[in-house]
Amino acid sequence: MAVTAAGPSAAPDPVSPDPVSPEGLGSPAWGGFDHRRTRDPGPVAAWRGFRTAVSLGWQMEANWTDPLLFFIYSVAKPVSAALILVVMLEIISGGGNPGYLAFVVVGTALWAYVYSGIAGVAWSILDDRERYRMLKYIYVSPNDFLTFLLGRGVARVAVGAMGTIITLGVGVVALGVRFDAGAVDWPLLVLVMILGTVAIVAVGVLIGAVCLQTRQESWSYPDAVAGALFLISGVVFPLSVLPSPLQAIGMLTPLTWWLEGIRHAVFPAGASGVGGAGSLWTSWVGSVSPDTTTIVVALLATGGLVTLAATGIFRLSERRAKDRGLLDRTTGS
Amino acid sequence: MSAFVYRPTASPQDAAAWTRRQAFLTDLRAVGGRAYPRVTGMLREKSWVFFEVLLPFLSTSAFVFVYRALAAPAEYIGFVVLGGAMTAFWINVIWMMANQLYWERSQGNLELYFAAPIDIMAILFGMALGGMVMSTTRAVAILVVATFVFGVTFQITQWALLIAIFLLTLAALYGLGMVLASLFLVWGREAFQLTQLFTEPIYFVSGLNFPVGRLGLIGALAIATLPLAVGLDAMRQLAFSNADIPFQTPPPAIEALILVVMTVVFLLLARWMLRRMEELARREGRLSLRWQ
Amino acid sequence: MPTSPGPLAIEARAVRRVYNIKPAPVVALDGIDLEVAPGEFFGLLGPNGAGKTTLIKILTTLLLPTSGTAKIFGFDVADDVKRIRRIMNMVAGGEQSGYGILTVREQLWMFSQFYGLPRKDGWRRVDELIEAVGFTEQAAQRVSTLSTGQRQKMNFVRGLLNDPWILFLDEPTLGLDVAAARSVRQLVVDWKAAVPGRTVLLTTHYMAEADELCDRIAIVDHGRILAIGSPDELKRRVQRESIFRLELDRLDGGIAALARLPGVVSAAPAADAESDDDRQTVALNLVLEEDGALGGVVGALGGLGSHILALRKSEPSLEDVFVELVGRGFDDVDGPGPGTPDPVRVEGEHD
Repeated sequence: MAVTAAGPSAAPDPVSPDPVSPEGLGSPAWGGFDHRRTRDPGPVAAWRGFRTAVSLGWQMEANWTDPLLFFIYSVAKPVSAALILVVMLEIISGGGNPGYLAFVVVGTALWAYVYSGIAGVAWSILDDRERYRMLKYIYVSPNDFLTFLLGRGVARVAVGAMGTIITLGVGVVALGVRFDAGAVDWPLLVLVMILGTVAIVAVGVLIGAVCLQTRQESWSYPDAVAGALFLISGVVFPLSVLPSPLQAIGMLTPLTWWLEGIRHAVFPAGASGVGGAGSLWTSWVGSVSPDTTTIVVALLATGGLVTLAATGIFRLSERRAKDRGLLDRTTGS
Repeated sequence: MSAFVYRPTASPQDAAAWTRRQAFLTDLRAVGGRAYPRVTGMLREKSWVFFEVLLPFLSTSAFVFVYRALAAPAEYIGFVVLGGAMTAFWINVIWMMANQLYWERSQGNLELYFAAPIDIMAILFGMALGGMVMSTTRAVAILVVATFVFGVTFQITQWALLIAIFLLTLAALYGLGMVLASLFLVWGREAFQLTQLFTEPIYFVSGLNFPVGRLGLIGALAIATLPLAVGLDAMRQLAFSNADIPFQTPPPAIEALILVVMTVVFLLLARWMLRRMEELARREGRLSLRWQ
Repeated sequence: MPTSPGPLAIEARAVRRVYNIKPAPVVALDGIDLEVAPGEFFGLLGPNGAGKTTLIKILTTLLLPTSGTAKIFGFDVADDVKRIRRIMNMVAGGEQSGYGILTVREQLWMFSQFYGLPRKDGWRRVDELIEAVGFTEQAAQRVSTLSTGQRQKMNFVRGLLNDPWILFLDEPTLGLDVAAARSVRQLVVDWKAAVPGRTVLLTTHYMAEADELCDRIAIVDHGRILAIGSPDELKRRVQRESIFRLELDRLDGGIAALARLPGVVSAAPAADAESDDDRQTVALNLVLEEDGALGGVVGALGGLGSHILALRKSEPSLEDVFVELVGRGFDDVDGPGPGTPDPVRVEGEHD
């Protein structure tokens, strides 16, 4: 671009117009820069970014092998987890506790969904930072970082959902879990799934916030957190088995209410994970198990708190990562 | 500058002619060298104490509570605790060894390892040694804390055999880890995903929370092929020697022999496979390809 | 090519490398013949995708040739792998290897162990090398905090730890700023000069780097060596004479007087001479048979009463050589452009 000394009657100097002025930036001499590009792209662009991230995540989750092996991979983990519990029951009870068997199978099947949701965001961060070294490029793009990570995690959630459904199927077909499709409370199921998924992903975001700060070895952190939540969420035994303080913590966990809601909706005749003899719930409230409204309200409240906390903590972690230059580092030992 | 000259030799042929002792010492030093970043990393970033020790303890506790809910005999609590402790080593094997060459290739380190005059097994040993610090801490924490919290009572009469079996189990586990590392090097992304298959499915067939003998034929196969299964079973038999529980598995001495055979087989197989895989990787140019 | 007793540092015969990838196999090397003597600083110059890195990977035992043979100091790259690894090292540009959690000193010590240095020797050697390359301030810094140039310096130190007989440098100054690149080049030169017989194979697509450092250069494109020679020899393919631009205060007898001097092929006024009303100067282009004739010209000019105000040698660049050989520049799209001559394959003209 030539810069010339301009007299009073000469053409406007393309360099000197105020760059803040739209006319200056938008003039042909500046290449016709459209200043509207710097504005917030809005929900449509955010949705497009989310969709792209979902598509990317699915490509990475699903294109590494043939469909049969992929199927086996998706199903083997949750089915094995269920079988571990089934054998434990079989050894001790000798098949004489079908109600508890159903409780255990349903819990472990659903836990596959929880695990995938928790691992989704965390592993996306580690994948993109350590393996593909794309994290910094994603971060500087106009898309919201968290939206992208959520999209990337969706594929793992989908794989987890597939594992859950198939494990439940195995439970019904082969392990004696009684299922009556006519007795399912579908509206409750849909509502609980939506609220629960949000809460599960929120926990994943919390772990993701930690992974932004830690090293490559944090691949195992989702496992560890899922394992700890496994203890207090009434997955494979009712909360009444736990000491009271742990029961109280369990009731503050959205996953407990999510599992309770699913059980209530899909297996209404089954045992409650929250209530029952010796439980804190029964001693406080008096009822054997919580009703539908209580479950939904509790899930909403606990899930909402966790979601708010996760969002806040993630933003703080993001800020700290930016301050310390952690977004484009590679770690590992 | 003297810094640019170190132990000069008369010719490259002299420099290349190492004795067996030199080659062995180099491999030994490589073990220490590779373990160094693992141990240093652990000391510098301590979040693993929470995520690798405390949380897994809670996870193990969940299965303890399952047995409590079932009013199981007290020994079963001990089985779970011992199983939980041993998972620490298994997790180390699959995440910190089997997968690690795949990671190293992504980071560009694999080329440098192969360009150095060392056996890649030395690198894997170093990884194992470095990771063992974390795993041992996790295992001890689970064992000690759970023993006190849940009141587990051990009845050990053959300490020497128990310790020997523990060490043999580790040796066989890490040998298997090396075999898996060589496969993962060639399989690439597929292998990374398949790591997931080596958690719960292996826990199930290894009898992590119950005597593996109760799985019948599957248990027998596991005893014959999986270090975690046979080692854990032998340790349970020795740790709860007075338990009135039918293990339905070979006695610990026989299982110790099985572990010896496993260790030798896995280490030899790993050596062979790593060499074949390296040749294959060199032929196909996979030592430095990423995104596979 | 300089001769020396003993095996060649690098000997490649008909080396071919094909990658079987989708959608179609790629021939990365298409019959490379190469001989590098011990003590040479040899350059492989070529555009991206020419096959330089593939050749280095074969020579450093990371890749097997599809066909052909290659030897390093007589050791076969396919069969004598361990021996070669004991006497060589490699440094690539843009390397991100290592462990971010370690300090520079620790990282280098770790690598020293992979080359068999005793533990204390390793620390001492690392400290010596760090000081020698002027890296002392960064020694205690974590690797993850290094800048690109610092990281490459560290990589270079890694490459020297085992005192290799042959050092492979694969675009070592890639991505470095001018000062950092100059520093790395100087290190290579100093290191090589410390012991005669040390050999360096450098791949680069920076002409000036190859020109400055290399005793001989092979120009590579599409997996083949197009020409080999010293930088001067290669340039003489394009321009055999020496061309000088002179500025004189005066020239009695005119340009014709110069043109008659021994060794002078032609003399003509310089086309880009600038006129200056305050100063009478004579600018001319002198084409000599060889550089040695310049002395006679300078002496004759003195005899004519002329003073030389400026003297500059005009040389073709290595890119000129490449264009002459291939018919396109390094940055041009593959294949000859419109109107350019067919590429000249000069395999038969290797030195």
